[in-house]
Amino acid sequence: MRISQKAKEETKERILQTAEDLFLDVGFEQTTTRQIASATGIAAGTLFNYFKTKETLAMSLLADVMNNGREDYSKRRSGEEDFEEDLFLLISSELRRLRPYRKFFGPVLESSMSLFSKSNSCPAGESAREEHLEIVRQIISTHSLSRIPSFISETLYWSLYIGILAFWAGDESRNQEETLELIDYSIKLFAQTISGNTSSSE
Amino acid sequence: MSPESKKSKESLELQEIIDAIPQEINEESPIKDPLGDLIAKVSRRQVPVRTLNRIWTLGSMQAKIAVGYLAYAIRRNFVNDTEQQRLLNEMYIKTAFELLGTMGYLRGGILKIGQMLGSVPQILPEQIADTLDSLHFEAPPMHYSLIREVFLDELGKEPGEIFASFEKKAFAAASLGQVHRALLKTGEQVAVKIQYPNMAATIRNDLRSMRTLLAPIKLKKQWRNCLDHLEDAEEMLLSEVDYRREARFLKKVRKLFNSNDQIVVPKVWENFSTDRVLTMDYIPGLHLRDYLETNPSQESRNHFGELITIAFFRILAKHQTIYSDPNPGNFIFMDDGRLGIVDFGSFRKLSDEEWQYQTTSDKAVLSKDLETMDRAMAESCFLKNAAELAPERIEFMRDLTFWNYEPAMEDRPFNFGDEDFYQRGIDIYTESLKKSYIHYKSLLNWWARSIVYHRTILYRLRSCIKYRHICDRELM
Repeated sequence: MRISQKAKEETKERILQTAEDLFLDVGFEQTTTRQIASATGIAAGTLFNYFKTKETLAMSLLADVMNNGREDYSKRRSGEEDFEEDLFLLISSELRRLRPYRKFFGPVLESSMSLFSKSNSCPAGESAREEHLEIVRQIISTHSLSRIPSFISETLYWSLYIGILAFWAGDESRNQEETLELIDYSIKLFAQTISGNTSSSE
Repeated sequence: MSPESKKSKESLELQEIIDAIPQEINEESPIKDPLGDLIAKVSRRQVPVRTLNRIWTLGSMQAKIAVGYLAYAIRRNFVNDTEQQRLLNEMYIKTAFELLGTMGYLRGGILKIGQMLGSVPQILPEQIADTLDSLHFEAPPMHYSLIREVFLDELGKEPGEIFASFEKKAFAAASLGQVHRALLKTGEQVAVKIQYPNMAATIRNDLRSMRTLLAPIKLKKQWRNCLDHLEDAEEMLLSEVDYRREARFLKKVRKLFNSNDQIVVPKVWENFSTDRVLTMDYIPGLHLRDYLETNPSQESRNHFGELITIAFFRILAKHQTIYSDPNPGNFIFMDDGRLGIVDFGSFRKLSDEEWQYQTTSDKAVLSKDLETMDRAMAESCFLKNAAELAPERIEFMRDLTFWNYEPAMEDRPFNFGDEDFYQRGIDIYTESLKKSYIHYKSLLNWWARSIVYHRTILYRLRSCIKYRHICDRELM
């Protein structure tokens, strides 16, 4: 019997929901794909038709959350922000949505969004990256800031951004306030680099 | 600029710094040369980008002068047992200075101290007053996107949800943060002080590293308590980042004044305050500089000088506490003649023993009982009797003490606008920095800060007030 597209989507949703509950309750490391399949009521083999690994499953989950964060960004944005404020708002809106999943963000980030993961990328990680970068491109273009080729500004940005995410995933400071400080400095650094304003005089 | 002219500029600057340092060092080339090297090495590091406020270097002339003094003061106190130990000490100091160069929140302070050390005696009293006005701990400015995140973390809501309106641009800089005007939904105007994220941890970590670096240096005995001063500096800085502590003190101080006193301390709005956000009544009026620009009458200047002095002594008498941050930004000169006091970040409670010591010293100085006074001075330098203090040091401490108490020794109104009086005091305090007289109880730092600020504000106001009368009345 062929399964309809709609049924497939529903199963995928159920898997994601079950996995989210397990990751949050039991922990990412402690949860196995077998447990997820069994709690969803499907065979372990069926789960692999939807997600190749536990990490890609988690990335799909997180990609949705990041998407919600970007929607928050659009809603919160007043249009009066300068470049640094605008970019800060984007990153902080995403991180706020991601906060409940922070504990298992590290391993997922490593396998699905790393700077090296392009060749064996997980589609969800790749599209999260592309959608995030698209907004960054819009921000840069709105503020007509960049004086350097776009592939350089994007690579620089993505390196900083992944660095921020990695730091945040392990940030044990109160409300991850060290990350806020890091974002603030990283954005200033980025803005000055791409605008060519790197004067060192004080 | 060509590399050559850059190099000659550097050596010129270095010579200027060496010239600004006490004479002895210019005569002793074995100390001078390594010191020059040290300053040059530390100060050559470049700032990567202009507005990365926390990262700065000791690149400016003023900062280098301050560091030059510090390096000199520490170096001449090495226990020179072996060459190897000396080299090791040099290395620790160099690393400590490099760390100092990253502690951006001290930037204002270090620059200003360097400015004073480098320019005295040519500097005019007015310039000193200006310098002291802007001496404060700094934090990078926060844009509204960052403030929103601080609010969400601290209060669970955005400023726009909490307040009927919130001004996105800060109207004043606060120590280690900034202040925004807002309107509560119930209609009250408030001032919201917001702290830059992670300040407390940054300060704690930096000072811990500094102590670790300085601890292995073998210094002469009287220099060992430099670590106590470091602890004191940490306490001073950390007290300014603890907004809950400030809110508690604000509430206590507010009760000390009634409407007849004409001194207003803002109410704290606790529902909108946390460790990092402090919401208080907004007090409308002018800051010192703007007030002075209105060309106020002598009567008005005296009036405000009196109110500032009353506030200082009442806090001291009722809570045995030194209000040690009376910098001009903390005072609001209101249209109707009332004085608003809006910042209570820096204060130091005296222990019973310290209070007792202070009372004894006060009596001795006011009755010119030199013997008791000298004994008290010796005690503040951890000594049993004054004979253990060098005569030059006793002379110096007496001058300092008499200057501190001079206004309290006269029954008639004391003219704080007298340039000679103000200049003498600043010279004495600058001299103590130059001579690195640092072997004393750290409580004296709090007194010095408090007294110098009080004298500076009253100097700028040109107030002529019955100081002794206020002391007697408030301390009774």
